[in-house]
Amino acid sequence: MTTDVAKIGSIVEGQLQRMLKLGCSFADVRFYDEDRAQHLVLYDGNLEANVSGLERGVGVRVLKDGAFGFAATADLTAIPACFDQALANAQAAARLLGFPRDMETARPVQGVYRPPVQQDPFTVPLSEKLQLLKRVDDALQDKSVAHRSVSATFQRRRIHYWNSEGTRVDREVLNIFASMTVMAPDKEGRTQRRSFQLGSNGKGTRGFEWLSNPAAFSDHAERLKRELGEIVAAEPLPPGRRDVILLPGQGHLQVHETIGHPLELDRILGYELSFAGGSHVKPSDIGTLRYGSEKLNASVMVVDNSPGTYGYDDDGTPQHYYKLIDKGILVNVLSSRVDLAEANARAGRVVVKESGAAARAAGFYKTPIDRMTNVCIEPGTDGTLEDIIRATEDGVLLDMPVSWSIGSNREHFHFGCEIAWEIKEGRRTKVYKNPTYSGHTLEFYRSLDLVGDESTWELVQVANCGKGEPNQIMEVGHGVPVMRFRNVQTGESESARPRAQSESARLLA
Amino acid sequence: MLETRIRDLLCAARDSARRRQIMAEFNFHRERSSLIRLGNSAVALSTHEELTRLDIHVQQGRRTGTASLLADITGREQLEAVLNQALENCRAALEKEYDPIFGVVEETVDDTHGYDSALENLSPATKTELCAQVITTLKPRGRYDFSGSWSSGSVELYYITTANDNECYRRLTDSKLMLVLKEQDKKWELSVERTAKRAGEFTAQDIIAEFEELLPIYEKNPGFRTAVGRQRVLFGPGALAALAQLTVWSGLIGRFWEEGRAFTSGKQFGDRLFSEQITIADDPANPQVFGMPFDFSGKRRRRFVLVEKGTFTGLAYDTATAAKYQKQPTGHDLENWDLTLAPGTAPAGIAQARKLAGDALYIPHLHYIHLPDPTKGLFTGSSRFNALRITKGEFTAPLFSSRITDTLPTVLSNVVAVSARTVAQNESATYGRRLPEGLSVPEYMICDAVRISDVADSF
Repeated sequence: MTTDVAKIGSIVEGQLQRMLKLGCSFADVRFYDEDRAQHLVLYDGNLEANVSGLERGVGVRVLKDGAFGFAATADLTAIPACFDQALANAQAAARLLGFPRDMETARPVQGVYRPPVQQDPFTVPLSEKLQLLKRVDDALQDKSVAHRSVSATFQRRRIHYWNSEGTRVDREVLNIFASMTVMAPDKEGRTQRRSFQLGSNGKGTRGFEWLSNPAAFSDHAERLKRELGEIVAAEPLPPGRRDVILLPGQGHLQVHETIGHPLELDRILGYELSFAGGSHVKPSDIGTLRYGSEKLNASVMVVDNSPGTYGYDDDGTPQHYYKLIDKGILVNVLSSRVDLAEANARAGRVVVKESGAAARAAGFYKTPIDRMTNVCIEPGTDGTLEDIIRATEDGVLLDMPVSWSIGSNREHFHFGCEIAWEIKEGRRTKVYKNPTYSGHTLEFYRSLDLVGDESTWELVQVANCGKGEPNQIMEVGHGVPVMRFRNVQTGESESARPRAQSESARLLA
Repeated sequence: MLETRIRDLLCAARDSARRRQIMAEFNFHRERSSLIRLGNSAVALSTHEELTRLDIHVQQGRRTGTASLLADITGREQLEAVLNQALENCRAALEKEYDPIFGVVEETVDDTHGYDSALENLSPATKTELCAQVITTLKPRGRYDFSGSWSSGSVELYYITTANDNECYRRLTDSKLMLVLKEQDKKWELSVERTAKRAGEFTAQDIIAEFEELLPIYEKNPGFRTAVGRQRVLFGPGALAALAQLTVWSGLIGRFWEEGRAFTSGKQFGDRLFSEQITIADDPANPQVFGMPFDFSGKRRRRFVLVEKGTFTGLAYDTATAAKYQKQPTGHDLENWDLTLAPGTAPAGIAQARKLAGDALYIPHLHYIHLPDPTKGLFTGSSRFNALRITKGEFTAPLFSSRITDTLPTVLSNVVAVSARTVAQNESATYGRRLPEGLSVPEYMICDAVRISDVADSF
């Protein structure tokens, strides 16, 4: 513990006691001793972003009379004033109170978390990182590639947490996100792209040694170029209903948008309506709703190598494994301590027994909200990717999102992907470009009939999940196997030609 | 101008860089932000943040590097450490293929006309009181729940470089309120937004009246699932702001045009892009926008026309793109532009608009917006708040979630009517640092043959 941390800890302990004496039922503090980031982007060979950043400050949360107040400051000499501001905010919020906010009682925790790392990326010289990216950039260069980009982002956060119940947590978070993209115009002049993101199988260490392992990142450059060439030469996916097989590169976003977000308890309770939206799930659905087929098993996992693993959440709750969907039945949701009482009251029975350790804030100056962590689909028993392809008569294999539209309650979705492989009679026959698919969330998951085994399971990193007001960008992980869904609407048809402008004008009512 | 202590420290850091023959740009940002968040018809959260950020950008020949700090500015040594980090990043950087353009403050700017201390200090209690008036008036009328947020605060921006002693300073305030009314069983959602530069620019009665205008249609009619295909759409200001921004990013940015990835690539100034009713400019002098007087390369920002009466007239170049393609930068080294979509000649008012539209879909906002293909200006976006079916000039039913997949040139060429009245649309960023951004857009635009690519049976 540095002198600063000890000194700030001493101030904070005194302030937490002061808040209790002033009638607060709960208070907590996060001190970001260091929130460090480095962002590097090579675009067409030019280093267009070369930025390193450091953030430091405290965030204070106070619960009084059933209402929360939050305040943050980068001025470490102003911590008592920050508590006062948070208290004033809570008092103002209590003037228009709904269901009283309640943290429920939790046993104090003394915790330390460190991620598995061999080589801290912030000890690696910038020149070495750039050489690695340059090698990838060189590998992506080709006359068939019009534009290319390679990027890497490194994050290291050292966070200290105290609350009025006596919980003390010291944790470190370390993330590496990296991606490469190649682009080229097709014969209609539309830009096609093929991309790859650094991912894992959930195991191993997540330091610089991970990124510098060619099998994890740089080796994918040649495949991307080849597949881009196939996309550029391909025809668009014809519309129609067919089976859809999702690779983890696309499956993770399907899970993120239609399982992860709708199962966030604050969304379910209506606290995100004005921005992110609501959920088709009701508290009373927990334990009863058939979300998908018996093949669907979704869990919050604690895996070593994921940005969704952080030891303890921002309520001080230790991360732990739990099922969200068990053999297709919804059994739990993503929760923090804040909303448990309200969820159970609304359901009229206990539907959420304990916090899911999903309270997460994107920085010291953001308040914790219910976030995804490692929302994963458990591996199935239907074999390898090739086994699933062999079992498919008429379908498409899809990878990597391009665009998506989701209903505000997450009942309905529409995704566009980078690439589709046609599957006919158990074989990949050709590539299609501009593939899309759409459906209703519950119908879609109820049509899940094949789930790949562990060999198909990949942990996909998401660096930019947006939620909350003020908006917060959060890092999450999704472990997903290959999955097959039956009889899905794919492709789009142009059902009417655009009218000429003059004709339009005549139609003015 | 910026408070003396911080200004002196920043100028001292600049002078130190000069003495060390380092080409450096200093970009200071300080915000005081407060927000109340509403959920389930109550205040779910009340926040306040006081944050200071500094970015130092260093250039040596064809190498550049940047270091950022979000922490209290405490003294010279701290700033020297940030400068040294930027220098270290720069020295280790790969050389670019072009000569970067270094920031030079063209003239000193000291702009505080957009600052209102009453708005900066608007209390959570005042906000709560206004929201409570709206909620207590409307909530008893149905199974309604209110959610939303109200953010207000101030920003100080200060930019200097080692090129000269000129300084750019700006202090302004902004406020954005969004209230959403949701019917708990049918799940439809109505929203009302308000933007302000000064305290007291709107009242609870204004907001109640706007809700009351649309509520009867939602209360009396079931949701309508429209057909896939091309339809007439009456776009409202939120959707128009989104279309204007998409048009700029996919067609009127120098980088995309130069790379052949813009829908305007291959076209020249003077070529027709859209209907004659479309004029798009970046205009800091427009009174409805927040009006950023300088950019972060030190250029003075003035009205810059991108599309004039449907004709391609301008491309925006930031310094990096201008350097790479040997063009002149246009004052666009910033995220928060002052976009304006010019008014037309059609009668003001949504009541007039729906009569003009006849049979159409009213889509005032677009959500889940993507640009799958900038080379065609192909975009996707879905309806959500306040979307309605229009039949024979009347609003007749709330519209289920409908997705548009179309190209910007198609939509903006099939313009039938544009309102003569413009409104301010607040698009301020809250992702990272507070950045007030507003657009001036017509209150409506009617476009024909807009492609509805997917329809849901839910909101």
